[in-house]
Amino acid sequence: MMLSFFDQFMSPTYLGIPLIALALVLPWTLYPTPTPRWLNSRLLTLQGWFINRFTQQIFMPINPGGHKWAVMLASLMVFLTSLNMLGLLPYTFTPTTQLSLNMGLAVPLWLATVIIGMRNQPTAALGHLLPEGTPVLLIPVLIIIETISLFIRPLALGVRLTANLTAGHLLIQLIATAAFVLLPLMPTVAILTATVLFLLTLLEVAVAMIQAYVFVLLLSLYLQEKRL
Amino acid sequence: MLSRLVLVSGPVLKNSGSFGACVVQASRSLQTSHQNQAPLPPLPEKGGQVRHGIIPEELFTMLYPKTGVTGPYMLGTGLLLYMLSKEIYVVNHETFAAASIGAVIIYGVKKFGPDVAAFADKLNEEKVAKAQEVKDLATTNLALAIEDEKKEQWRVEGRQMLFDAKRNNVAVLLETNRRERLHMVTNEVKKRLDYQIALQQLHVRMEQEHMVNWVEKSVINSITPQQEKESIAKCISDLKMLAKATQAKANV
Repeated sequence: MMLSFFDQFMSPTYLGIPLIALALVLPWTLYPTPTPRWLNSRLLTLQGWFINRFTQQIFMPINPGGHKWAVMLASLMVFLTSLNMLGLLPYTFTPTTQLSLNMGLAVPLWLATVIIGMRNQPTAALGHLLPEGTPVLLIPVLIIIETISLFIRPLALGVRLTANLTAGHLLIQLIATAAFVLLPLMPTVAILTATVLFLLTLLEVAVAMIQAYVFVLLLSLYLQEKRL
Repeated sequence: MLSRLVLVSGPVLKNSGSFGACVVQASRSLQTSHQNQAPLPPLPEKGGQVRHGIIPEELFTMLYPKTGVTGPYMLGTGLLLYMLSKEIYVVNHETFAAASIGAVIIYGVKKFGPDVAAFADKLNEEKVAKAQEVKDLATTNLALAIEDEKKEQWRVEGRQMLFDAKRNNVAVLLETNRRERLHMVTNEVKKRLDYQIALQQLHVRMEQEHMVNWVEKSVINSITPQQEKESIAKCISDLKMLAKATQAKANV
């Protein structure tokens, strides 16, 4: 079983059957459904507490009209976090390393915020294209720049997530290879490399959670912007 | 987690009756909990037992009769060595990555596990404490209400005495009133009787005076002039004798 560095980023298939759906559905099996009981198991209590806290945190600055997005954003956060964390296990496939998936998540959600903003308050939404207090001469240039920045948002969202995760995974692979190759040659250096690997893994765990959070947070910010 | 489900449902499937019933039961035999909604059976105190954090205890229990205590460990080691020697599992860079992430996971679980579990328990306990507080408050309120009720009952017993006292008061007032009226009646009757007595006395007095006057008048009328002259001469002779007597006394 020879692995190249990029095998982990190939969408998995088995005898021609694509397994990407299985990879995407796997996080759902890890979270228990709430029961009709009043007092639940520890896992369920923690899950409930976390989702409550998170939703409260994200939706505090958003006015009540935007609270319709709560289910979407909370489930997105849980989904992305679990996909990222599961991808850190060896020999796993991380769907969020695929640009297609991330763009598929980012573009519709971003577009939804823009369209809703345009529909509810078109003047304010267009007004966002020009920051307050700009000198008169700069107005045309600034409008172009703001439009470009508006349209680059979904690209940024998707590519940010993809790039961070892909880079992290690739780094883990490379440093692990370095440690593995150096082990028979220079064991001390191998041990140092192993330490680096350990630290990197810690970083990757953090990055996995942070990137998911950033994704959702930025979407909530766009939502806030459009509704204000 | 799912393996335990299969292990538990295995004997259930085996014990089901005829083949026809087995087909029906097979679709439900994986549901190990009650089919009714209420009453719900209580949650087990502890989760499924695991050894070394990941291997369910049921594996060890299953292998114990045949292979004793070391059975599962021999199985594990044998499997591992088999896979390594036959190069079914190749040691490559992923192994290092696996070791790294394994170290991170084990470190995290060992360090933060008890705290997270305590936090989850605390959340549940807070819920229970809130409900318990409501219940306790209700209990104390009801106990206070019982005490107040008892006190009221005691007060009611004392009220008889109050009624008796009031009754006595009223009786005394009535008695006083009656005696006053009796007194008044007596006075009035006495006044009437005094009047009658005064009237009678007046009658008697008037008769007496009338009689005296009549007697005097008749006596005066019966005095003849002869008698009058005789009485006057007598009076003068008496007076002269008296004068002589006094003069004699004065000289002595």
